[in-house]
Amino acid sequence: MSAARDQDAALRSFEAAWRARPEDRIAAARADAMQRFLALGLPTTRDESWRYTSLRALAGRPFVDAEPAPPARSSWLAGVCAAPVTIVNGRPSSGAPQPAGDPALTIESLRAAIDRDPASLAARLGSIGAAESERWALLNRALFVDGLQVRVAGRAAAPLLIVHSAESARDDAAVHSRVIVDVAAGAEATIVEHHLGGSGHATLVNHATQLHLAPGASVEHYRVFSSDERTTHFDALEVLQGAGSRCRQFTVALGGAMVRANLSGRLDAPGAEHDSYALLVGRGARQLDCVNAIVHAASRTTSRQTARALAAGSSRVVFNSRVLVEAGTAGASSNQSCRGLLLSPTAEIDTRPQLEILADDVKCAHGATTGRLDPNMLFYLLSRGIDRASAQTLLIYAFLDDLLTGMSLPGARRAIEDALIGELPGADLLRSYR
Amino acid sequence: MLKISQLRANVAGRNILKGVDLEVRAGEVHAIMGPNGSGKSTLAQVLAGREDYEITGGSVTFDGADLLAMPAEERARAGLFLGFQYPVEIPGVNNAYLLKAALNAKRKKAGLAEVDAYEFLGLIKAKMKFMGMDESFLSRGVNEGFSGGEKKRNEILQMLVLEPKLALLDETDSGLDIDALKVVAKGVNSLRGADRSIVLVTHYQRLLGYVEPDRVHVFADGRILKSGDKTLALELEARGYDWLREGRVA
Repeated sequence: MSAARDQDAALRSFEAAWRARPEDRIAAARADAMQRFLALGLPTTRDESWRYTSLRALAGRPFVDAEPAPPARSSWLAGVCAAPVTIVNGRPSSGAPQPAGDPALTIESLRAAIDRDPASLAARLGSIGAAESERWALLNRALFVDGLQVRVAGRAAAPLLIVHSAESARDDAAVHSRVIVDVAAGAEATIVEHHLGGSGHATLVNHATQLHLAPGASVEHYRVFSSDERTTHFDALEVLQGAGSRCRQFTVALGGAMVRANLSGRLDAPGAEHDSYALLVGRGARQLDCVNAIVHAASRTTSRQTARALAAGSSRVVFNSRVLVEAGTAGASSNQSCRGLLLSPTAEIDTRPQLEILADDVKCAHGATTGRLDPNMLFYLLSRGIDRASAQTLLIYAFLDDLLTGMSLPGARRAIEDALIGELPGADLLRSYR
Repeated sequence: MLKISQLRANVAGRNILKGVDLEVRAGEVHAIMGPNGSGKSTLAQVLAGREDYEITGGSVTFDGADLLAMPAEERARAGLFLGFQYPVEIPGVNNAYLLKAALNAKRKKAGLAEVDAYEFLGLIKAKMKFMGMDESFLSRGVNEGFSGGEKKRNEILQMLVLEPKLALLDETDSGLDIDALKVVAKGVNSLRGADRSIVLVTHYQRLLGYVEPDRVHVFADGRILKSGDKTLALELEARGYDWLREGRVA
């Protein structure tokens, strides 16, 4: 009987948190989201997009809102920009997070944006993904405490780094935060979101980012997860692309107990181009579940998805990508390439590329392979006198190479490589290799 | 240098090597010829230490040491080099890095310090020029996108950098046009010396016109059927292999 009650502990704690919140100026939008979330409940493995990730243990935990906290750590991606914006437990750490004077960038806290113009903000919060797979985004809409609104009006002078840090002194703290980025017509920006932290306590981070690209806009976006092994991430990324816009997106998971990273992309007008890359490194008991859904809603739109999954220990890595080409479009092109590398007999990788094509004139391709290190490659290196451990390390690194070389921000690539090397066996060798 | 006695090996449960006897002395060049599927490549791979090939009998000594007891990487460091029939493409592993790591592994074994980066670049560029290879190959992935001929040249380049005591070249001549064949032969000949041995595995006489062997062996059905001097190669070219097999049966 207590077991049955426990299974609703998380749900009830979220509802209690919502009721305890002081009403803000978007309370109606939040209430609507909360009602829908409560009606749907937490996903179970019976839900198609949650087949591989069970939330049973999590459902039994009563969560409390994480308290405001001072910044406690710095990001290893700090080198990419002079003035990072730090968000601790969902709240920008300095009241007015405007970074060094870049006329192309306007940044304000979401709190301030809500107070200034609640109607337009509330209208922006709707999710473009299917509600059934976006339950955490619904919960986020109801509960996000704060976050950022970023407007890019021209060509940003430097990349913008947003550091999301979770700091809690107790178990079962929950952080709900959101970032909204609007990139104006023809504007360009590189935005790096780094999720780090967890102070050794079991923490839930439920974050959502909305990226809206006006016609001709161009964005390179990174979301990097490197939290400790007691942090669970639910991360919803929404990308809405206008005519001729270009988005390059990198999802890099190098940490966390569990990371569920959704990407919902909509190519909404002709000529939009979307490239997404997922670099997923499972080790220990980590669970990584990456779910991409790209909708080609207009003609001559292009999407390319590339995933490289590595699984060691008893980790489990899931990469699920779906491409929908809507009826009435012409000349859409899409490519999905997922490759998995298993490094232990107890690790598991599940890749599932899916295509749904409702138009006639399309060019779509997909491929998924998962295997172990190639014995022919290994023997070739051994036959040249390279020791076994080094040979294996080199091959693992080589497996990830084409994804890393796709990163056009050198500082981010370098820092991600450094962190990645730290996660791989034979770190010393790889440092000398580069 | 190399002494093989009654070597037997299975590949995927099938008996491929059926009692190979061969002795190669320092300074000698041997050619092993034989029809496709006779087990020549299996012999080369077994000698280089391929693990999924099961040794079921016999012995091999290399410089007096038990070769079969050494893992593949130890054999390489001890001075054995296999030029692959099908060099493996390894995208993402840099060609120059492989060469340097291989050279350093051998130097470490010999008690030498790692090669100086500047010195290495000088060495490698000279060898590449000798092999008629473009320097852009250095920054590419190992054999990645190389043509058949380029891969074979790359094998010889690695051999020249590593200066092995014993080079086993498995069908290094196959798939080469005449110009590439000459370059490969030039590379092989440049390695000849009193303290080195070379074993050429081939099924054509063609390469032997450029690299003159001291001994020629006919390999068929998992063993050496007949050995002789270089005139045996010419005889094989003229008469094929069947007369030898028929002779054995009779």
